[in-house]
Amino acid sequence: MSVEVEVNEDDLAEMVDQVWESYLDPEGINPFIPTYDENQPSEVHSSVSISGSWTGHLVYACSTLAARRAAAAFLAMEPDEVSEDDLSDVLGELANIVGGNVKAMLPPGALLSLPQVALAPESTARYPNTERIGGVYGVWEGEPVSISMWQSRAVKNEEESK
Amino acid sequence: MRAMVIDDSRAMRMILKRIVTKLNFDAVEAGDGKEALDLLLEMPEVPDLALIDWNMPNMNGLEFVTHVRADPRLREMTLVMVTTESEQSQIVRALAAGAHEYVIKPFTEGAMIEKLALLGLVPTGANS
Amino acid sequence: MTLSQAEFTYVSTLVRKEASIVLAPGKEYLVEARLIPVARAVGAANVNEFLAELQRRPNPAHQRRIIDALTTNETSWFRDREPFLALTDVVLPELIKSRSAARKIRIWSAASSSGQEAYSLAITMQENLPPGWTYEIMGTDISTEMVKRAEAAEYSQVEINRGLPAQQLVQYFERAGAHWRITAQLRKNVSFRLMNLTAPLPAMQPFDIVFLRNVLIYFDVATKRTVLQNAAKLLRPDGWLFLGAAETTIGIDDNYERVAAGRTSAYRVRNGAPAGALRRG
Repeated sequence: MSVEVEVNEDDLAEMVDQVWESYLDPEGINPFIPTYDENQPSEVHSSVSISGSWTGHLVYACSTLAARRAAAAFLAMEPDEVSEDDLSDVLGELANIVGGNVKAMLPPGALLSLPQVALAPESTARYPNTERIGGVYGVWEGEPVSISMWQSRAVKNEEESK
Repeated sequence: MRAMVIDDSRAMRMILKRIVTKLNFDAVEAGDGKEALDLLLEMPEVPDLALIDWNMPNMNGLEFVTHVRADPRLREMTLVMVTTESEQSQIVRALAAGAHEYVIKPFTEGAMIEKLALLGLVPTGANS
Repeated sequence: MTLSQAEFTYVSTLVRKEASIVLAPGKEYLVEARLIPVARAVGAANVNEFLAELQRRPNPAHQRRIIDALTTNETSWFRDREPFLALTDVVLPELIKSRSAARKIRIWSAASSSGQEAYSLAITMQENLPPGWTYEIMGTDISTEMVKRAEAAEYSQVEINRGLPAQQLVQYFERAGAHWRITAQLRKNVSFRLMNLTAPLPAMQPFDIVFLRNVLIYFDVATKRTVLQNAAKLLRPDGWLFLGAAETTIGIDDNYERVAAGRTSAYRVRNGAPAGALRRG
């Protein structure tokens, strides 16, 4: 599978910077700071599925507090005013934004699903038959945030056998 | 002036509403293309501008644009896609269907205002 | 870990000197966030160690990586719009008459930075010159880094959103991974070179149109005068000079006169303009 070539971690990192610059840190005061710690914990996550020329998921995972702060930034409210619905909505949109841009870098013919949100950590149990192939890991105002790509095994095997 | 903001994410609708409200638009919201079409039927005056997400449940943004373009009553509405779909071929499709402009997510507030200025919907230099 | 004041000063001085870009104070965290991947890529333990080593032993390749990481230039395409409308409405119709023998237009984009203005000019020529005409656009900048970036003609998603009509995005750009690249068709008419506007300029063929926009604001009056005099030598006698909206030659260099150009103003060398041009001021 060629996704490692099509979408590298520098590209993901650049997208993350652009999301922060656009919505989460327009003043450039509280940037996403990379830690490269792929084992950092998360409490909530969202994902979009991509199918077609590459099959897998783009996963946005973070702590509940980071999700609250993100929702607060989008909705122009205080973090403690954010409801669970707000939180889901913003997490979903963040996965959608990064996922759509990832899809545009893949060979033509990929499709993007609507986002799914789980108020629980991401895990292989939630994405059976997938493998995390890369991601961007860091902190935002001290809270963990990650964006990672999970590739479906079935497709990988099929590609390798060609 | 009136604007319609169509996106299934409430958070994204909020961001877009904040921007157009700053530019003195009255904004109404819809969560998908179908809801937006229903709302247009009820509105006494056609909005000047619609900001339209692509991927939405029930009716997507491209279908919405196609519907609007087929309705002579809605001819004056300026249609701007605001979406994460960013392949060149998708932009071409949206323009062919009748969208006037295209903004790729993520966008900064300044970039959105510049796009609306291109369409003559903002006095030049309002963002500077 | 946070950047010390001394480290921030080192980095901002480097960026100002090499790329002519000023990092605003208060952006220490952002600078640090952008340097973490750079430090990691060159094998340093952290940003502090990376900068300490660089100050002990200057390394041009590493300095270039810093500049690259910190200078996303977000100049808009067709910046301010009006000068480009003036080109299509006023300047080109006149030049198309006066240059009908050579059928060629030469344009200088001075202080071209990452190239958005030069390529916006190229798109304008591409769409408005009659068949059989050619054009040459030269961008110049004081920064080697910016010249390289403009030549690469690759722009991020955020850069591409800035004032570029979608129709022109699909027509004159192609996707290059996470970025968009100007098509070869447009690139072949645009070149970039290193140039300091305040020093004596190299001999060059003169230009029909000079864009010297939002440059003079950075200079004192004496330097402004030098730059304007330098520009006059490279402007054809009936050529057009465009300055930024907040800039003027008035009270600085009386060899120019201000003329109306569409809804904005341009400057022409006095007595050089052909009879019948609109005059003002």
